Amino acid sequence: MPTPLLQINQLTVTLKKRQALFKAVDNLSLTVNKGEILGLVGESGAGKSMVGSAIMGLIDKPLFISSGEIYFKQRRIDTNAQPVRGAEISMIFQDPLVSLNPLRTIGDQLLETIRTHIPLSKPKALERAKRLLKEVGIDPARINAYPHTFSGGMRQRVVIALALAPEPSLIIADEPTTALDVSVQAQILDLLKQLCKHRGTSIILITHDMGVIADTTDRVAVLYSGRLAEIGTTYDVLKNPCHPYTKGLVAATPQINGASLKDKLFQIPGSMPDLNNIPAGCAFYPRCTQAVCQCEGEQPALFDNRTACWLFDKGAKPK
Amino acid sequence: MSYVTASGLTRQYDLSDPWFIRMITGRKANVLTAVNQVSFSIEKGTTYALVGESGSGKSTIAKMLAGVLAPSQGSVQIDGHDFNNPRLDNANKKMLRQRVQMVFQSPYASLNPRWKIGDILLEPINAFNLIEDKATRQKRVIELLEQVGMSAHDQTKYPHEFSGGQRQRISIARALACHPELIICDEPTSALDVSVQAQVLNLLKDLQQENGLTYLFISHDLAVISTMANKIGVLKDGELVEEGETSGLLANPQHAYTKMLLAAAPDIGAYIS
Amino acid sequence: MRRFLQSDLFYSFRYSPVAIVSFVIIVFIILTAIFADLIAPNNPFDPASLNLMNGFTPPMQANDFTGETFLMGTDDQGRDLFSTILYGLRISLFVGVMAVMLAMLLGVMLGLVAGFVGGWIDSFIMRFADIQMTFPSILVAMLIYGVAKGILPPEVRYEMSIAVLIMSIGLSEWVPFARTVRGSTLVEKEKEYIIAAKMVGLSRYQIMIRHILPNVLSPVLVIATITFALAIIAEATLSFLGVGVPTTKPSLGTLIRIGQDFLFSGEWWILFFPAVTLLAFALSINLFGDWLRDTLNPKLK
Repeated sequence: MPTPLLQINQLTVTLKKRQALFKAVDNLSLTVNKGEILGLVGESGAGKSMVGSAIMGLIDKPLFISSGEIYFKQRRIDTNAQPVRGAEISMIFQDPLVSLNPLRTIGDQLLETIRTHIPLSKPKALERAKRLLKEVGIDPARINAYPHTFSGGMRQRVVIALALAPEPSLIIADEPTTALDVSVQAQILDLLKQLCKHRGTSIILITHDMGVIADTTDRVAVLYSGRLAEIGTTYDVLKNPCHPYTKGLVAATPQINGASLKDKLFQIPGSMPDLNNIPAGCAFYPRCTQAVCQCEGEQPALFDNRTACWLFDKGAKPK
Repeated sequence: MSYVTASGLTRQYDLSDPWFIRMITGRKANVLTAVNQVSFSIEKGTTYALVGESGSGKSTIAKMLAGVLAPSQGSVQIDGHDFNNPRLDNANKKMLRQRVQMVFQSPYASLNPRWKIGDILLEPINAFNLIEDKATRQKRVIELLEQVGMSAHDQTKYPHEFSGGQRQRISIARALACHPELIICDEPTSALDVSVQAQVLNLLKDLQQENGLTYLFISHDLAVISTMANKIGVLKDGELVEEGETSGLLANPQHAYTKMLLAAAPDIGAYIS
Repeated sequence: MRRFLQSDLFYSFRYSPVAIVSFVIIVFIILTAIFADLIAPNNPFDPASLNLMNGFTPPMQANDFTGETFLMGTDDQGRDLFSTILYGLRISLFVGVMAVMLAMLLGVMLGLVAGFVGGWIDSFIMRFADIQMTFPSILVAMLIYGVAKGILPPEVRYEMSIAVLIMSIGLSEWVPFARTVRGSTLVEKEKEYIIAAKMVGLSRYQIMIRHILPNVLSPVLVIATITFALAIIAEATLSFLGVGVPTTKPSLGTLIRIGQDFLFSGEWWILFFPAVTLLAFALSINLFGDWLRDTLNPKLK
C-alpha cells in the first residue's frame, strides 16, 4: 500500500473556555491519498473546519492541539506547519474576499505568490500567472483587473488560481461554494475535479452539503461532535451507510424527483449536542434509534476501518 | 378563483444619484428593475414555489405579497383584496394583514434578541386584539409552542438560548399566532443543517395539512422545492421564465435556464436506488 | 442576579484587575460624595462656619493662630479642603450625571429618528451634528452658556447657573450618541424581525421604541461612561475658566482655579488635592469605559 500524502493520527483539538476544557475534535484519524478528493462532511459545529485549520497550523487560542500528530509526506507538521503552509498545502475559504487584497490587481497577487515559492524571472512568472488564470477559466487579458471587478464565482476562481500558484500537492477547500449560486457552484466543483484529475493534486473538501459530496468526492469522512462517525468511499457511504447518523443524514437529504409530495422526509430527532454537553459514550446515542448496550457508557472505536458504531462490534449485545 | 393572484408585478429601484448631482455631472438616471411583469396564482391549500438564484427578485416578490413593499406596477390580490388599494379601509387592511404571515431565512435576524419567546408570540395576538383574556392568551402561547414541537417553559427564554432549528420553529409559531391563511416562506431552511432542515420542512407540511394553509415557498434549492411544492415558477433576472406542476416541470423542463438549474443542482439521487 | 453572576461580563470583570481597581475607585468616590454630610468635618458651603484665621493651613499641620489641624489643609478663606472636595465632588458628579442624561436622551432620540426615518430628516440631523463636531465641545458649551446667561434675567442667573452648566455640557456632547445610535439603527432596521413587526401592522413609532431602541442601547452604555468622564472634565474646565458654578459653592474645577492662584506662593495643596481627585476619577471612568467597550464588543478593540 502506498504511503498516504497526509496522515492524521488521533488528533484532538481542545477548546479552553473559562478554565474548562472541551474537545472540539476528538481522537480523529484519517488519511488523504495522492490525487483524491476527500470530503469532510458534518453539520455546523461538528469540527470539520477545525480539522482544516489544524492541518494548516492555524489553530489559535483559545483552541490548541492537545494530542495526536499530523504527517505530510512523512514529515510531522502539527508542531510546525510553517514550511508547508501556503506552499505545499494551500487553502480556499468560503468567502473569496478573505484571500484577496482589494487594493492590488489579481496579477500582482498571483506574481507575488508564485515568486515567493518558485524562483522564476518576472516574465516567466507572468507567463505562468496567465496560464493559471486560463486554467481556472478566466481570460488572461484581465490579469490587471482588481478583485472587485469580478463576480462572486469569478473571484472564487481567482482564489483557486492563487491557491494553485505555488504548485501545492494538497488543497483544503473549506465550504468553497456555500456563498455561490447553484449554477456557479457546479462550475467551481467541476473545476476542482478537473484540477485533481490533471494535476494529481489532492483536495480536502469541507462541506455540509451531501449533494456536493455526492457530486464531487472520491472518499468521504462523516464527522459528528468532533468525532469520526464513518469513513469510506463516497459510493459505499452514500449507497450503504453504516452509522445510524450517516443513514439519517442521507435519508434526510431531499432529492429532486425523489419523493412524492405526500411523503415526508426522514428526520433525525433532536440536534447535535453543544461542545459542553457531549454525552459520555457515543455522541450520537441520545438521537439514535438502534442503540445497543455499550452505546451509553463507552465511546466506540472505528470498526472495520469504516464506522465508529457499536452495532459493528462483533460482540454487540442488543439492548 | 385562486387564493392569491399576482398580475404584472413589477418593482423598480431608483439607484440614480440625487437630482442635483445628476444636473451637475450629466449622469443619466439609473433604474434597476428587480421584478419585471411577473404573474402567477396560487390555489388555496397548495404550495407554490419560486426558485431562482441571487438577484432573481424572489425576495422582492415575497415582500410585495407580504404587503411591506408596494409594487411599481401590477397588483397582488389575496382572497380578493389588495394591500395597495387606496380604497381599502383600516379594518379591512388589518384583516388582510392577519391573513398573510411570513417565515424568514435567518434564524438569527428574524427574532428580536431582546424579547422573550412568550412576548414574541404575544405580539401578533395583541396587535390584532385576538384574545381579550390574559389567561387565555397565555394558553394560546403554550398551544402555539406545542404545535411547533417546543415546550411551554420555553416561553420565558430568550432567542439566543435556542439553536437555529428551534428558532425557525419559533418563527413559524409566531407566523401561526394570528391564524393566517397564507404563509410566505422565504428560504426558511437555507441556514439550517440537513437533519434540522428535514424537521422544519416536515413541520411545515404537517401544519399545512392540519390548517389548510397556503404557502408561497421561496428557495434556491430545487431538491427542497421538489419535496414541498405543488407548482413551481422559475425566476431569472426578475422574470418568470417557466412555470408548471412540480413533477412535470422537473421531468420535462422547457426553458434552457431551468434545464441548466436542474443539471447544476447537487443531488444524491444517483446513489440511492 | 444569578444570571448576572454567571454572565461573560462578570467573568471578564473578575479577571480584569484594571476593571476591578477602576470600579472600586469610582464607587468609593461616588459614595464619599453622596455621604459628604456624614464624612466631612465641616460644611464649607456655610459661610458662618468659616474662620478666615484658618486660611492657608498646610495639610496635617496645626494652624498658627487657631491651632486647628486639617487633613488636606485649607484654602485662602479658611475652608477645610477635604470637606470642600467632598462637597465639590457632589456638584461635579451631579452636573456630570445630569449632563450625560441630557446628552444621551437627545442623542439617542435624534440618532434613532435619523437612522429609522432617513431621507432629508436624517441629512438635516447628521449635517447639524457634523457642523457641531467641527467646534471643540468646550467651545460649544461656552457658547451655549454665554447665550443662556444672556437670556436669563439677572435675578435668577445665580440660582440657575448649575442648570445652565448642565444644559451647555449636555448639548455639546450629544453627537457621539446620535452617530452610534444612527449606525446601529441602520443595521437593525434591515433585520427580518422588523419586517415581521410591520406585517402585524405596528406603526413606525411602535417599531422604533419597542423593537429597535432596546437593540441599539448597549453601545450607548459605553459612550455614556466615557462621556461622563468628559462631562466632569468639561465642568471642571468651565469652572476653572470662571464660567461654571459660583465660588461660594465650589466644584472641583473652581477649587483648582483657586489653587492655581496660590501655586507659586507655596500653597501647593489647594491645587494638588482637587486635581488628584479629578484625575483619579476621570481616569478610572475612562479605564472602566474602555474595558466595558472591549467586553461588550470585542471587534472594536
